[in-house]
Amino acid sequence: MTIAVAEGPAVSARDIVKRYGGVTALNGVSLDVQEGEIFGIIGPNGAGKSTLFDILCGITVPTSGSIRIMGSEIAGMPPHHIARSGVARTFQRTAVFAESTVLENLLFGRHASFHHGVLGRIFGSKTFARDQQAFQTRVEEVLTLIGLDGERHRKAGVLAYGVQRRLAVGIALMSDPKIMFLDEPAAGMNGRETADFIALIRAIAPGRTILIVEHDMAVIRQLCGRALVVVDGRPVVVDEPHHVLSHPEVVTAYLGADDEE
Amino acid sequence: MIDREQVAVSDKKRSGRTAREASYVACALIAIAVFAYTFTDPFVVTLAGYTCAFALFALSINIILGGVGEVPLGQCLFFGVGAYGAAIGMGKLGLPFEVSVLIALVLSVVLAAIIGVITLRLTGAYFSIVSWGLTGVAMVAATNLEEITGGPLGLFGFPPIEIGPLQLSDPQTYFAVTATILLLAILFLVALRRSPFGAAMDSVRQNPHLARSVGVDVARVRLKAFMLSAPFAALAGALAVPYTQIVTPEVFSVANTVDGLLMVLLGGAQLVVGPVIGAAIFTLIPQAMNLDPNIRILVFSSIIILIMMFAPGGLHQLGVALRDRLGRKTDDDRSR
Repeated sequence: MTIAVAEGPAVSARDIVKRYGGVTALNGVSLDVQEGEIFGIIGPNGAGKSTLFDILCGITVPTSGSIRIMGSEIAGMPPHHIARSGVARTFQRTAVFAESTVLENLLFGRHASFHHGVLGRIFGSKTFARDQQAFQTRVEEVLTLIGLDGERHRKAGVLAYGVQRRLAVGIALMSDPKIMFLDEPAAGMNGRETADFIALIRAIAPGRTILIVEHDMAVIRQLCGRALVVVDGRPVVVDEPHHVLSHPEVVTAYLGADDEE
Repeated sequence: MIDREQVAVSDKKRSGRTAREASYVACALIAIAVFAYTFTDPFVVTLAGYTCAFALFALSINIILGGVGEVPLGQCLFFGVGAYGAAIGMGKLGLPFEVSVLIALVLSVVLAAIIGVITLRLTGAYFSIVSWGLTGVAMVAATNLEEITGGPLGLFGFPPIEIGPLQLSDPQTYFAVTATILLLAILFLVALRRSPFGAAMDSVRQNPHLARSVGVDVARVRLKAFMLSAPFAALAGALAVPYTQIVTPEVFSVANTVDGLLMVLLGGAQLVVGPVIGAAIFTLIPQAMNLDPNIRILVFSSIIILIMMFAPGGLHQLGVALRDRLGRKTDDDRSR
């Protein structure tokens, strides 16, 4: 399944509302992310940004509102279909296939874009051979990008945390996605790992639209062109990061919270 | 998706591996032949045949446990379908054994499709409990449908069981047939594990959310695995009949599944032949040591606890850990 390329924003949400029983997690959030943009979503704990994120990439179904990715409505589309249409995401915690090697992890990542029947493989059809070649090339590219060239045969589970996060991005990159969702990619990283990670995201950004949910304001400031602040399920402001961080309501919301880790 | 082996293994290594695997298969065939025609004690040979049949059941359980990571407490349902299918086909309908078995296999797949669509929405303990519950339904049905199943007494007194010219009542033939079928099943499962579908199962087992996010249809993979596991269990149930000579509602007992699960845990879920190793240990040791059935439960429970504590991946994990440790040592030496 492919989503037709259309003019307009890469990701667009209108009046997203999400209620869990009597609790309103999100109340009327709208956003437009332009193609090629790195867009941040920030907010205090429990503000609803993870819920918003899950809704934007189709894992959670909103109570009301519409989401369009590359101009196509994704309501009711199963997550694996969305994944196959050029959208990739990383997860906050369960980031990699821990029992498999780095190489196998990347292989799993290619699932979305590789479809060859048994016959094609047995008889070595031309398209199969070509895709095989393309795959090999892609693996090498991604391994170099994420700096795991020398670790390809190691089990993902034994890698350092920051390295696992890089691998998670590598898995997402295998399908060469147009849109990437990164869920708190720098959470739990030390300063060095965070700096490496920011460099990695900058390296992969050209030609892609990237959405990041993040606690670490330094990451948002360094990467994002614009950021949306969500407080108590409401959108407060969308602007450049330094404007956003000085917005009075944002300052109030974060008062006492540590935004300068 | 790509053939994972194409990437992980170079051509040279691959052809070397194919040769090595072909030699394993040849060795296994020779071992089967030697065992079948040198051991003359009919009891031992028949028991070995039954062990092979039950190992098939353990393999079926492991398609779910080692494949997609669920604990299929209801797997004996399909074992029972195979056993009753063979018994009813032969005893009530007068069909040949092989035809009865084929029908039972098809039935088991259909049943798995229906049950799977309903129960595979559940995960973890919920899936296990619901599938266990369904075996209770099957047991009650088998007990009460006396016309078809013979009721609580079950079905027995079959005509001589044969597959074409092969007399399964002859211990040697019985063993040779079940062992060969087991070998074919192992070969199939090895190929399956290396296929794109095997990779998809592995990704679903390890991390369903991440699998979904890279485009794997998780529900479909789980259902396919379940439907694939059912005929293995049914075949095991049918092949057990020549040994047991009776099929009672007890085949639907969860104790049956637990035996199979123990074999898997004993041998290791992540190795295709793990369950077979487990089945061999599980059946042969109590016989060799002449254990009382009650003591057997005690002994195996203790062994399982110890294995889960020290080698949660099963006995073969100990071997792998040893090999890795030795391998890492040489790697380190090289890097120095």
